[in-house]
Amino acid sequence: MRRKNSVPSGIVDAPLETGSQRAAVEVRIPSVLDGRLRTYDRGADNVGAFLRLLGERMTRDLAVSMTGCVHCGLCAESCHYFLSRPDDPTMTPVYKADQIRRIFKRHLDWTGRIAPWWGHAGSPGNDEDLNRLKNIVFGACSACRRCTLNCPMGVDTGLLVRFARGLLTEIGIVPEGVFNVSRDEWETGNQMAVAEEEYLDTLQWMTEELRTEMGTPDVEIPVDRPDCNVLYTINPREVKFDPRSIANAAKVFHVAGEKWTLPKWGWDQTNFGLFSGDDRLGAYVARNVYEAAERLRARRIVISECGHGYRSTRWEGYNWAGLDQKLPTESVVVTLLRYLEEGRIRVDPTRNAEPVTFHDSCNIARSGDLLEEPRRVLGRVCAEFREMDPNRRENFCCTGGGGLLSMAEYRPLRLEAAKVKADQLRATGAKLVCTMCHNCIDGLNDVIKHYRLDMRVVQVLDLVSNALVVPDVHADAGH
Amino acid sequence: MALPLSESHPMSATLRFFESGLQVGALLFMGVVYVVRLVWLFRFRSRRERTFPAGHEGAGVGYSLMNVAMPWAMESTRKRPWLYAQFVVFHLGVAAAIAATFIIPYRPTLFAVKPVALAFQAVMAAAFLVGVLRLVRRLREPTLRLVSSADDYLSLALMIVFFAAGVLAVPNRFRTAEWTLLLFFGLTAFFLIYVPFSKICHYLYYPLTRYYLGRTMGHRGVLPPRRQAGGPRPSADAAEARPR
Repeated sequence: MRRKNSVPSGIVDAPLETGSQRAAVEVRIPSVLDGRLRTYDRGADNVGAFLRLLGERMTRDLAVSMTGCVHCGLCAESCHYFLSRPDDPTMTPVYKADQIRRIFKRHLDWTGRIAPWWGHAGSPGNDEDLNRLKNIVFGACSACRRCTLNCPMGVDTGLLVRFARGLLTEIGIVPEGVFNVSRDEWETGNQMAVAEEEYLDTLQWMTEELRTEMGTPDVEIPVDRPDCNVLYTINPREVKFDPRSIANAAKVFHVAGEKWTLPKWGWDQTNFGLFSGDDRLGAYVARNVYEAAERLRARRIVISECGHGYRSTRWEGYNWAGLDQKLPTESVVVTLLRYLEEGRIRVDPTRNAEPVTFHDSCNIARSGDLLEEPRRVLGRVCAEFREMDPNRRENFCCTGGGGLLSMAEYRPLRLEAAKVKADQLRATGAKLVCTMCHNCIDGLNDVIKHYRLDMRVVQVLDLVSNALVVPDVHADAGH
Repeated sequence: MALPLSESHPMSATLRFFESGLQVGALLFMGVVYVVRLVWLFRFRSRRERTFPAGHEGAGVGYSLMNVAMPWAMESTRKRPWLYAQFVVFHLGVAAAIAATFIIPYRPTLFAVKPVALAFQAVMAAAFLVGVLRLVRRLREPTLRLVSSADDYLSLALMIVFFAAGVLAVPNRFRTAEWTLLLFFGLTAFFLIYVPFSKICHYLYYPLTRYYLGRTMGHRGVLPPRRQAGGPRPSADAAEARPR
């Protein structure tokens, strides 16, 4: 399948086999044993399996994106990889998508079957070819969909990339980090393998901190409380590395007088199925959340600040799980905006005096619907807001999207491609870059550190919590 | 099929066949292949959307389909108006050339009006020039060279020749320059047979790709873009804040 050419290429040559998969097979972890989590088998007919899955999983919206490209090249400059490596044509969306498209043409499109050489149709010859495809779709694309919205034909390259990832995941040809996180999600129900005890301990710790800070024993972080208005779901990163964000949410819910709860199981709104392309994993994780809401008879699912978590839980998860949506499912930023607009919380923007800019998460701005909501919140809680250029649907990826933060082998290329983001951030002159995504926090922190920018990353909830005017608890007891 | 031409026109039997019978046959072939192609595409299963909408699917589809006429809607066309202008001229040329294939045999009197003939020739000549520019771009830009197939080059080259043939054919000088018409209608027939197997049939896919993208994005409220109302007024724009 590999074409003979001498163009410069930054595509990383990461190895086919990984130690994590060998270890998982050796210790016989349940998800591997029962076939939920696939591992690479050198002796299997992987090319055959890949081609079989290609046919079985093809859908109409994918097929039209496979056939619709006219090779106009207009997508090139929408991609941060290409903008940062302008002499490398293998970084363009059209090239990356063509590596998938060629296989489709050769095996499913009858014009490509009749005369494959005519339209660059091709077939993977061996596992190494599939490994190269892995290094393209996982390693050189964050599936940010910026090219999708810039394609004159409407070709959804982001969708094609996720589809190809899913086929490769099914035969175990995946980056080590993707395998590890998928394993953790299958085995523990959350992507950072947070044990229930650790989860509950962290919530207890944050409850005590909050009580001290607010000077009241009334504030709490309830778990598994039935019949609440809000079932709050979080990112495991919050438990592991940023528990303060849970406390911030609890503080706001308390002040707003909200009846809310976290579930004991099904609290992880993140979903690595989105990144690995594994719809079964996506369905499993999303279903955990929906079932928690049903079990606790919650009236609304609220998703903490997370781009891919929002997209997965609000948009994709119901489709993966085959469940019709029954409950309103919203980002906590929407909840915050409602509290502000209804006067349930009051804020003092002078407490956030430093200039703030906002980074739109790809999964929220291009694959979701929230553009103005975070800005309306920031407009109330910040003294000085500076818009990034470009912004909203045209914003550039934090460069850590698409699960790339978990794939160490592609980190140098990712940081090279981050030059565009660094320039964009620097131009704002802001001291704080706010984002409503935990993944973007880590992605942006990497960019800031690598390019030595004088700014730090915050979330909307951080700024709201900081600006929150906490009323006298006794005076407001009847709220 | 009888041509609506007066018997006073001493048109050769070959040209008569090229202008009519051949075209009808080729057109029928194209229609059959398109039907087969669409049946093939529609045999792939469609996804069902199970979420509450945040926008309107119909509005998203409408916006997506009209995208072609909104160069400001996408950064890729907004920042390169020259390429968008080329796209417009090229496709106007296509429309003019296709129209000419019907006008010459069925309404030849229209091209007897000199300004009309000149207008068609001007559009096709401009499209010819754009075609050459596009070919140069495809040959020069490493990205396009890397992804271009034989079909990409041949389709473009054929279009360039087709525009040139159209410019020559529009005056409809079948007495003195029959070869121009034979070339034009011969190419047309070849196109009708070749197009369903080439990238040129992208116009068949355009409504489909745009429909599915618009439906998804419309449902989610991404398309059409909402008015930027209610957000914070930037207290300093990026340019002002840029270190000097």
